[in-house]
Amino acid sequence: MKKKVLSLLLCASMAATVFAGCGDKKDGADNNADANNAADNNQGENNAQAPATSDETVTLKVWAAEEDQNLTNELIEGFKAANSGQKFDITVGVESESTAKDTILIDPEAAADVFAFASDQITDLVKANVLQPVQDVDTISAENVAGSVAAATVDGTLYAYPMSADNGYFLFYDSTVVKDPTNWDAILSDCAAAGKKAGMVMASGWYNAGFFYGAGFTTTLNADGSTTLDWNGTSATGIKGTDVVQGMLDIAGNSAFLPITDGDTANQIATGSLGAIISGTWDADGVQGAFGEGYAATVLPSFTCAGQQVQMGSAAGYKMLGVNANSAQVGWAMELAKYLTNESSQATRFEQRQIGPSNIKAGEAPAVQENIALVAVTQQNGSNGVVQMAGGSYWDPTKSFGEIIAQGNPDGTDLQELLDNLVAATAQAPQ
Amino acid sequence: MSEEGKSKKENRVAEFFAGIAGFFKGFGEACAGGDAAVKVSLVVAGAGYFARKQIVKGILVTLLEIAVILYQVLIGFPYIGQLGNLGEVQRAQVYNPETMKNEVNDYDNSLLILLFGVISLSLLAVAIILWMANVKNTYRIQKLAQEGKHINTFREDLSSMLNDKFHFTLLALPVLGIIIFNVMPLIVMVCIAFTNYDQNHMPPAMLFTWTGLKNFRSLFETSLTMTFGYTFRKILVWTLLWALLATATTYFGGIILALLINNKATKLKKMWRTLFVAAISVPQFVTLLLMRNFFANAGIMNTVCEKIGLTGLLQNLGWINTNYIPFLTDPTWAKITIIVINIWVGIPYLMLIATGVLMNIPEELKESARIDGANAFQIFRKITMPYMFFITGPYLVTQFTANINNFNVIYLLTQDIYTTTNQKMSASFGKEIDLLVTWLYRLTSEQYNYKMASVIGICVFIVCALFTLLAFNFLIKGDKEETFR
Amino acid sequence: MRAKKTITSILIHAVLAIMAVVWLVPIVWLIVTSFSGFDGMNTSRFFPETWSMRNYTRILFQSDTVSQFPVWFKNTFIIAIFTCLISTSFVLMVSYAMSCMRFKGRKALMNAAVMLQLFPGFLSMIAIYFILKAVNLTNSHFGMILVYSGGAGLGYLVAKGFFDTIPTSLREAAYLEGASEARTFFTIVLPLSRPIIVYTVISSFLVPWTDFVFAKIILNSGISTDWTVAIGLYNMLQRQLLPNYFSRFCAGGVLVGIPIGILFIIMQKFYVEGITGGSVKG
Repeated sequence: MKKKVLSLLLCASMAATVFAGCGDKKDGADNNADANNAADNNQGENNAQAPATSDETVTLKVWAAEEDQNLTNELIEGFKAANSGQKFDITVGVESESTAKDTILIDPEAAADVFAFASDQITDLVKANVLQPVQDVDTISAENVAGSVAAATVDGTLYAYPMSADNGYFLFYDSTVVKDPTNWDAILSDCAAAGKKAGMVMASGWYNAGFFYGAGFTTTLNADGSTTLDWNGTSATGIKGTDVVQGMLDIAGNSAFLPITDGDTANQIATGSLGAIISGTWDADGVQGAFGEGYAATVLPSFTCAGQQVQMGSAAGYKMLGVNANSAQVGWAMELAKYLTNESSQATRFEQRQIGPSNIKAGEAPAVQENIALVAVTQQNGSNGVVQMAGGSYWDPTKSFGEIIAQGNPDGTDLQELLDNLVAATAQAPQ
Repeated sequence: MSEEGKSKKENRVAEFFAGIAGFFKGFGEACAGGDAAVKVSLVVAGAGYFARKQIVKGILVTLLEIAVILYQVLIGFPYIGQLGNLGEVQRAQVYNPETMKNEVNDYDNSLLILLFGVISLSLLAVAIILWMANVKNTYRIQKLAQEGKHINTFREDLSSMLNDKFHFTLLALPVLGIIIFNVMPLIVMVCIAFTNYDQNHMPPAMLFTWTGLKNFRSLFETSLTMTFGYTFRKILVWTLLWALLATATTYFGGIILALLINNKATKLKKMWRTLFVAAISVPQFVTLLLMRNFFANAGIMNTVCEKIGLTGLLQNLGWINTNYIPFLTDPTWAKITIIVINIWVGIPYLMLIATGVLMNIPEELKESARIDGANAFQIFRKITMPYMFFITGPYLVTQFTANINNFNVIYLLTQDIYTTTNQKMSASFGKEIDLLVTWLYRLTSEQYNYKMASVIGICVFIVCALFTLLAFNFLIKGDKEETFR
Repeated sequence: MRAKKTITSILIHAVLAIMAVVWLVPIVWLIVTSFSGFDGMNTSRFFPETWSMRNYTRILFQSDTVSQFPVWFKNTFIIAIFTCLISTSFVLMVSYAMSCMRFKGRKALMNAAVMLQLFPGFLSMIAIYFILKAVNLTNSHFGMILVYSGGAGLGYLVAKGFFDTIPTSLREAAYLEGASEARTFFTIVLPLSRPIIVYTVISSFLVPWTDFVFAKIILNSGISTDWTVAIGLYNMLQRQLLPNYFSRFCAGGVLVGIPIGILFIIMQKFYVEGITGGSVKG
């Protein structure tokens, strides 16, 4: 009998816990609804101005990269000052642009209202319905370089606010070592002569696709999340995929070539053993320190492919701010995102962090035009840059493919078979 | 298993079903034989107690009943009702420039439906059982009253909670915790293996639904584009090999180290022990992350190996074709390195445990063996090891399953560093050095493929369960809880 | 005979010394790198070129956006204290019930517990996250405490083994004197269980210091002052940050390792008794 009481009590406490839990949630939702209604009423009265201010404190959360924390806080102060009629409570959290998607997709509702991300994540974010479509499409498209707008657009809808135009790779070289930076053969022989190496990240679908883009191949993202590659055939410009692979293998097999692990470029630059490296503006400071007087940057070189020189292409990357569609303050979040990516914010970002603006006017500033790395990346993105659209099944297989090449195809697999396997693997939709 | 054991098992199963049948029979009897109070308690749960003057108990039980009913009507049933298809209304939003807010429809979130559906359903089942038990109990009290026996007061009920029913008091909170943080999440995750919850069906933006056994089929299928079956087999083999090697190396290594330290000839026993304990006092993730940089291709270990000429030697032998030793980047090297590092991590713990056990081996046993002319090795083989096995058998079994699930060592040492060159594996996002758990972790955190991760999780469970069952039935033979009393 | 003994002794000490060196090399590397004057990882030499206390002063007194070590330490310490209180009580409660009491369903419960532990824990991570979110406990240290200690009862096996060795006669004597089960638990069994209590306390205290998987999912606001030591230090080794923070990571590792190490060395004896006491007589 007493046993029963206890079991009842046990169940009661269990029920109470669950009950309280769900109760809280419902209450929370109701409160939100009430707040929303209240806000609606408030704004109903003074809806003429945009942005309309209200008495409620607007709470926003912003995610920015570790290195951008101070800058972002500073810019947010400017935003608050520009909208002094409204009370804000804005917090800044840390989330690297390169991993934003991974954190957001676990629970989009808990993600920041405004977050920075790299352009290759946009399709996954759009698919998960995380990105709020941009309202001022015309202004944003007119103010930013075309490539960045294209990278922020999915199926004709602009989903994000371009923030920087320098998330691409190009060639850094030490002009005292490398005399002719226009083709791989010359670079490798110059480096070998000076006892240096030429490095590149081979094991990454972001970098190694550059060889294929240069030869006229494409990557296409399908609606089901799979990626179609035509690399195992012949490109529009008549180059065979296997010839491209052979060209890559020739480079990787050169003793002056150093394959670098993705993300390890900074460490390799610091060792001082490099004469040339394919990387991006994030390494500019390090390269400048290592190359000193000889510091120079230019577009990617060409490579030898079945006897002819083929100019390398690249995946042009941009960084952008997205607004979370699940945000309770989506209007203000859009205002903030717009402010953080406007001309003056991008100019400040360049001044403090040497980040290349996507804003056309900010990019015309003399200081930007004189920045060696930014000039190179702009040229590269403009001339041979491709906005890379790829799904979740693209990255692991291309990484393996690159690693096989970096190791010089140790198993001697038939090159056509290598490509066929790669194409089959990326063609999988998430099962 | 012996015939006797088999019949014992069958008896247990029979007992179990007899128990259930008895429960329902008792309920039937209570309904039939109960007086008005018992019958009312079918509706008002506390009625039976009120009739026997157990007012407090009656109030508590009735309040609980009301709470459960309220919960189910307001929250539980809507969720349970949607369990069948896990929701139908997809999320849609319209931006309203006037309010500066999104107007969102009343959408269904499949994951929350599954989660709270399962919780509510379990709660409902428990509530029904309690309701039946409660009716039976009121009938029992009725009979006690009829026979003129003593009926406990509320105070007596309470005090029995500290005495013969003390286990309820003790178990209530821990079991509640386990139900909330282990059982419920687990049921939900097992359910996900039967749905299509993946990147194309991710709540809140999208819905997912039941797909039956499809995911299990794709785990055992291999075609040009579907390499899950291939990857699964490869990873399963390595997982088992790893668990075996990791358990065995640390176990015997720990025993040998303990024997060395506890040898009569060893001076400063305590100092030696402390030195090894110092190595495990730094949190594991720090040492592992350190090790991974220590053994990096351009790391300090490679610098040292190059200086002492080991790299050159290996190159000449043709063991490596790189100008560094690929400690954590080549499949074979990485497997060896990982096992070696695991030995480093695990031996101090085993050393501590083995020390404890060794000190407890009855000295007379060894002494009599020595008199019989056994040498040190024979004593070790015939006395020390059997004793160790006997004492640490269960620990060994748990250690083996823990190693099957050893996420930290593999993940921290190889994440972002190791790249597979096996195209079939990379097509399924696996790597040669992956264990089933690290593979399933990356499937969820990088590919959002929850359904396949759940399927793999269930496979891990099956492997562990099979092994544990075998081990307990053949190696350890029964339970020793009364042995030493 | 004596010569043979000396040789054995020398051999044993030589082997031990070599092993000790192998075991201590990474720890020494951690310590010397924490005193390095160079921010990144030194790959060309074992000992740093320049020595400095800079890493410690920076990590302790000059918090920046990446390194908030004092706050992390405080967070983790608070979480660890409560985790350890709740976990230890849960484990002892379950162990006593399972070991010293006999009731219907005991065996079934024990078997269920064994089964439950065979499922990989990460699998349920996402479900736990949403349960916590429903009661608004994500991004809260209380939520973390619940996650770390909620299921602690499952880890009762070692402690139960220990209780199994406490002679039944002691408890029976107490019952004869009219002590209730609760009284027996508190006055007879608990005082005899110091080793296993210490063992449980240490092992549950360590959990929050080493877990980063659950912590990362539940503390997902991106606000670094909410973090625990494990996520914070792990974050320092991000590729972009490593060149600037590696030596500070080492300093952090040493600072975390010191208290845990001291705890470990002091409690060594109890640890051994606790884990083996369950299977060893005396």
